[in-house]
Amino acid sequence: MAENTTGLRSAYTADGIEILFFNIGESIYGIEIKYVNEIINIEQITVVPKLPDYIKGVINIRGKVVPIISVRNRFGIEEIPYDDRTCIIVLEFENGDQVGIIVDRVQEVLVAKPGDISKAPDSKNVNANRYIKSIIEIEGDIKLLLDCDKLIAD
Amino acid sequence: MADMYVFETTSLLEQLDQILMKTENESSFAEEDINEIFRTMHTIKGSSAMMGLENMSKLAHAIEDMFYIIREDHPVISSMETLYDIIFSASDLLKAEIENLQEDEYTPTDFTEQMTKIEDYAAVLKGAAPADGAAAAETPAASSGADAPAPAAPAAAAAPAAAAAPAAAPVSGSGLTTVKVFFEDDCKMENLRALLVINRISESCAELEYIPDDIENNGDTAKTIIKDGFLVKFRPAPGSSTDGIMETIRTTANVKSCDIIERGSEAAASTADAVTTVRVHFDDDCKMENLRALLVVNNVRDVCENVTFEPADIEDNAETSRLIVEEGFVVRFKSDKPQMVLQVIEGTPSVKSYVVEESPEQAPAAAAPKDAAPVQAPAQTAQAAPSAQSAAAKKAEAPKPAAKKAEAPKPAADNGAAGAAKGGVKQSLISVNLNKLDVLLDLVGEIVITEAMVTSNPDLKGLKLDNFQKSARQLRKLNSELQDAVMSMRMVPISGAFNKMTRIVRDMKVKLGKDVELIFEGEDTEVDKSIIDQLNDPLMHMVRNSMDHGIEDNVEDRIAAGKSPKGKITLSAYNASGEVIIVIADDGQGIDPEKVLAKAERNGILTKSASEYSEKEILNMIMLPGFSTNEQVTEYSGRGVGMDVVKKNIEKIGGSVSVDSKFGQGSNFVIKIPLSLSIVDGMEISVGNSIFTIPINSIRNSFKVQPSQLVKDTTGKEMVMVYGECYPLIRLYQLYDLKPNTENVFDGIVILVETDGKSACIFADELIGEQQVVLKPFPSLLGNYNIKQYGMSGCSILGDGSITIIIDVSNVISDF
Repeated sequence: MAENTTGLRSAYTADGIEILFFNIGESIYGIEIKYVNEIINIEQITVVPKLPDYIKGVINIRGKVVPIISVRNRFGIEEIPYDDRTCIIVLEFENGDQVGIIVDRVQEVLVAKPGDISKAPDSKNVNANRYIKSIIEIEGDIKLLLDCDKLIAD
Repeated sequence: MADMYVFETTSLLEQLDQILMKTENESSFAEEDINEIFRTMHTIKGSSAMMGLENMSKLAHAIEDMFYIIREDHPVISSMETLYDIIFSASDLLKAEIENLQEDEYTPTDFTEQMTKIEDYAAVLKGAAPADGAAAAETPAASSGADAPAPAAPAAAAAPAAAAAPAAAPVSGSGLTTVKVFFEDDCKMENLRALLVINRISESCAELEYIPDDIENNGDTAKTIIKDGFLVKFRPAPGSSTDGIMETIRTTANVKSCDIIERGSEAAASTADAVTTVRVHFDDDCKMENLRALLVVNNVRDVCENVTFEPADIEDNAETSRLIVEEGFVVRFKSDKPQMVLQVIEGTPSVKSYVVEESPEQAPAAAAPKDAAPVQAPAQTAQAAPSAQSAAAKKAEAPKPAAKKAEAPKPAADNGAAGAAKGGVKQSLISVNLNKLDVLLDLVGEIVITEAMVTSNPDLKGLKLDNFQKSARQLRKLNSELQDAVMSMRMVPISGAFNKMTRIVRDMKVKLGKDVELIFEGEDTEVDKSIIDQLNDPLMHMVRNSMDHGIEDNVEDRIAAGKSPKGKITLSAYNASGEVIIVIADDGQGIDPEKVLAKAERNGILTKSASEYSEKEILNMIMLPGFSTNEQVTEYSGRGVGMDVVKKNIEKIGGSVSVDSKFGQGSNFVIKIPLSLSIVDGMEISVGNSIFTIPINSIRNSFKVQPSQLVKDTTGKEMVMVYGECYPLIRLYQLYDLKPNTENVFDGIVILVETDGKSACIFADELIGEQQVVLKPFPSLLGNYNIKQYGMSGCSILGDGSITIIIDVSNVISDF
């Protein structure tokens, strides 16, 4: 994907890519910070009928109607009730579309150096793996970088 | 600059098409139509040359030349068809070229072939001209040697249509003012720029010569102009002055300098300082004539100065109105463009007629001017004698404008971009980028939401705020006015879309050899601009269908069926309950339901057994995707080919299409579209935690169901009896898989909705209230899931920040 390569290249000049990490259960996933618009607390979601389960509905962010996706549901992991650490990460794509993703809790932002990043395994067995772009090893921990475009695509 | 050119030329070409269509119907060219075409082409030629689009400029020039011959020589036109074909195809080429121009990679198209055709035909026309016409075909600027001042010219030249009338009287070579014009260095194409100068001043000159004189066709003249300058000799027409013309030349693009080499006599009256006296009469019984007179004065004051009038106390003295009725209202003004002022007077509401009693061109001649003091240079007094005759002539002519006015209001004939000037009322128009209006509309939408947020703020609950409520009401009123104003800005009459159909019908008439007339009804109906843009293609498709398949192929069939041999297609538009309804009706052979059913069966799109379909359902099948098989595609259409596309396009703008046809008698296609896309009056209802909005205009009423009203049919389908009729009950929570607060029909509320002649009852938890909502499309992510098919047309943000889903009743009902 062209825009991603440019994104990476520009990130390289600044010592690597900035990645926001979050928890889904015990696993830690990351998304590139360039997609992240803001992080908000979970709020009342308006249900839109007749949509796939993973689209929870829409919320109003400053006059904009933004669809919300549950990452748990997307990954085929059992959903848990929202608590006060549940967050919505609002992603913004190049075409201006905004999409919120529900995550268990937000961790931190780290910089991954080019050497830390390796390609994702080719396995298609696990549902979650379909959305993984690359594997990152930071400070001895292995973390998974998600592909935002695939996350919202069908 | 390029934008302006595209906009202007496109509207000119559209205007041209309209004139052509009109004249073709009347099968004769009125003098003023010829002039209008001539002027249109002239303008296109000039502006194209300005933009460096030589091919377009030349093509326009060729047409202009042809019409010059038609105008001057009055040739006997043997084959109107050939003439129209030539002009129409030229106009198409120009339009196509404008389209090309907007592409990224533009290469000029070669029009040589078309030009040869035009020139050949022009030659034929010229040959057909009466013999004495040949001499007149010389350019109007052709000067004869006679040394008489040209007092006769004024009267004729001042009339708008006569701008280039052959009335140009014998000319004195020496009486002309000679000006030498130089253009900016390196501005390129000096000859065309010179042409522009000529174009700009030609209207205000009674006589005009220039050297070199072949600038239009000879590119080499550019060099001469660079070297020696461009010499213009002119005599100002009445209503213009030498200085005015000099100013025009000076302000023309790329002109570096212009100097008077030889100052001619101001032969035509210089009118800048002279007074024109006009007597105005108002419509009978229009009441308050004094105030209407004041309106005239105000309008005139907008365009010129030194306006005086009689009676003078119209503002304060209502008695004057009687005087005005009896004697008319006298206005005196000084203007260097009296003609324009007269148009302003003519365009003022309630003005019945006016008579020019005294105008500058006759002032010097009328030896005993009354109180209007004509200040004229001595040079002109000298001409008093020869002018006297013309003044007499002029007097005789003077009532002419009045007579003209009585016939019909004449358009403020200029080739301004807007065809809207047609009404005869002077309009001041500006063109605004649609995007800006979209932004404005969005903002108004936000304001409507925000207003609700403020006035129904939860913090205010339970407080007694009399003054606040008062201000809030005021705010609401203003907001709704603002909204109306913004909406009305975006409204355009549907006639634009209709007029395009004239052309299609005309072309198909020729190709298919069918005699059809196209009738418009209610073309003044206004629709949001963004909707009109989406309407063109579907309309075109349906009109083509009607032409091709609706109207019988053989006239004999029509006569046998007792119809007039001439087919009729009617396009009508009218407003009904917040919607615009457009009907495309033809009196052709209609649709054979049996054939449709058979075809649908063959294509396997039936969902129940063939005998269960009602006639209406069958007819509407032609709009199902998959119905169209390209069995009988012609150049234009195959009935059904693409009707599903038409339907989809219309649904995209929130509309619907239905068909009604009597086999043997004709078909009606009915399009319903919303007046405007964005702001909806809605009723909010709740189902569990969700809030839905149903557009008010599809709600008939809402009520609590009594046990006696509920019936079940044999399949267990629930029905509600209202007013002696049964309507299916739609439980919204079932339709949308929601968890309601109550599943008991008697606890909740039932809303009877109706659209497209179908009704149903919707069951919900409760009614929340009525609110105006601003329709927002669903985010694009949700657009992938075709939720519109389940009756959700969009969403909106409510005053408290929550989101409501707007229900499209027709889609909800369609499944029941």
